[in-house]
Amino acid sequence: MNDKLQINKLYALSSENRKFGFSVPLKNKIRIGKRDYIIQLKSDEKYGTYILWKNRKYPVEIIKSRQNKYEILFNDISYTFTVETPFSLQRKKVLHSRKGKVEQEFIRAPMPGKLIDVLVREGATVLRGEPLVILEAMKMQNEILSPVNGKIVRVHAKSGTNVMKDDILVEIKVE
Amino acid sequence: MKTARKMNIRTVAVRTAFEPLAMYLSFADEIYDISDNISEIPVFLDIEKIISIAVETGADALHPGYGFLAENAYFAQKCIDNKIIFIGPSPDAIYKMGNKTIARRLALKNKIPMAMGSDGNIADVEEAIAIASKIGYPVIIKAASGGGGRGMRIVRKAEEMEKMFYIASKEAEKAFKDPSVFIERYIENPKHIEFQILGDTKGNIVHLGERECSIQRKHQKLLEEAPSSALDKSLRKKMGEMAVRIARSVNYTSAGTVEFLLDSDRNFYFMEMNTRIQVEHPVTEIVTGIDLIEQQIRIASGEALKFGQEDIKIKGWAIECRINAEDVQAGFAPDPGKIEKLSMPEESYVRVDTGIREGSAIVANFDSMIAKLIVSGKDRKEAITNCKMALDKVWIKGTKTTLPFFRLLVRNQNFQDGNFTTAFIEKDLDKYFYYSEYEEMIAAWLATKLFIEENLQENSINVDFEDGKKMSPWLLNKRMNQF
Repeated sequence: MNDKLQINKLYALSSENRKFGFSVPLKNKIRIGKRDYIIQLKSDEKYGTYILWKNRKYPVEIIKSRQNKYEILFNDISYTFTVETPFSLQRKKVLHSRKGKVEQEFIRAPMPGKLIDVLVREGATVLRGEPLVILEAMKMQNEILSPVNGKIVRVHAKSGTNVMKDDILVEIKVE
Repeated sequence: MKTARKMNIRTVAVRTAFEPLAMYLSFADEIYDISDNISEIPVFLDIEKIISIAVETGADALHPGYGFLAENAYFAQKCIDNKIIFIGPSPDAIYKMGNKTIARRLALKNKIPMAMGSDGNIADVEEAIAIASKIGYPVIIKAASGGGGRGMRIVRKAEEMEKMFYIASKEAEKAFKDPSVFIERYIENPKHIEFQILGDTKGNIVHLGERECSIQRKHQKLLEEAPSSALDKSLRKKMGEMAVRIARSVNYTSAGTVEFLLDSDRNFYFMEMNTRIQVEHPVTEIVTGIDLIEQQIRIASGEALKFGQEDIKIKGWAIECRINAEDVQAGFAPDPGKIEKLSMPEESYVRVDTGIREGSAIVANFDSMIAKLIVSGKDRKEAITNCKMALDKVWIKGTKTTLPFFRLLVRNQNFQDGNFTTAFIEKDLDKYFYYSEYEEMIAAWLATKLFIEENLQENSINVDFEDGKKMSPWLLNKRMNQF
């Protein structure tokens, strides 16, 4: 038995909830208006991997591929999609309607760098837009601001230390 | 070094441990190798080391580039003491213009228009608040030894002063080893206009017209152009004369830049003078036809300028885009990485200045510039059109870049109309990158294709390899991980 054969449509759902539907088997064409345009995935020594579309080469790379989640860098812009079957899309909708509000916010380093200053301590109340830490990267000092109103539950950041991209700096309980 | 070669001058370059394969080495006639010397201070900041290398190799002259040493009076003096010609202004001019409070006093004495501000450095927060209430908010705190946006903070009300004063002073101390700051009235939404200056050792000083560098983010310039659409002939003449006057006050020699702010009522204010060649100098070279590095070398060897102010004509338009390894989708966060592929447009209207080639690494603690894309046209409109085409031909793989930002900018109506100030990026743009629904659709198509190949098919990825090689194009997670 192979239930995979039953799938005749797939949806790529962007992180901003835009939905792109494609029929399966996937055609090497994309329709714009009344015309179909051929799309080709190619690779060579000079350009690396690229997509040929309407007589133009576009650089493309797969940044991440995990389960059904894909991050794709296309023409220097990254897009994140989850690819859903008609069933998983339906299930996702149901789950989404049950999900509550985010309660804990993890503030992560947006880039690798050195922590110059930590401006909050555990237990403190912060307002949205308030600076939490100062991170220096590439000669620039960047204030990392709180995205929410809340209470600081944990401070992982230590002044003077180096952090990697996506390291958790501060945890905030949303209020 | 290309200019020097054109002039039949032999060059020596230093090979460092940091970038042992750097591209600039391929332009040098001789290489001094210290790549086995791993020291705490980068060699290009190590004055004694640089001087000793210059002496040992028997160099007649030294060009400091546009890094920190270019504006270091002590370094310039050290060169002179060791009988090496410093290709740049006198140590005295560097010192006076480098110290912003001295520069302010000089400008004041020479009746150069300036924003109101403190007479000198500010001792403490109380004094800062007292002065700010006298000249009126908003004010800007600036590092006395500063430049390039570091150690600068805008203060809109007295309550913010303590925090901002602390941050600015700390930043200044770290960047320039001098925590002293001063205060100026903050000019809201100005244009950044700067004049290129050339002075020789015979006392001739001319300006080579202006550059507009209003497209900046956090005081870091992203796009520069020459001339500026905001200036007409008479304003250009007036500002140019002021620029020459301030340069004359320190008997300026070599290439330098006088920076002004221009407000919406076309009042202009002296900001500072940069006593070095600047990153954006190529746009001036294109519209004047004058090679600034060549002029610097000629001036340093004692030649007089071969042209006067009336000989300098501005022709056409030039735009420079700074292509940096930055993620515009993450608020221009640095995106260090290894440049895997690099290919630049070769049209006649394009000039590319870069020190990067395939295999080069963009490291987190250097600056993030990959290349300068300089595009010209007969007028601004044509330059923008050419720029749009050139941007689509830049091919960089390995890091994210500022390209999507420029692709958005050249299509922006206000930019095309010349209707923008230094607040443009922060205030007038709701997103920082060019977005096309079709492009997203293609990316979605690719994600779907991958999903099918990974989940619904037995056979492997169906890529059409033109060179017939069997390599996976998807070895891309290694990106970033080494940093």
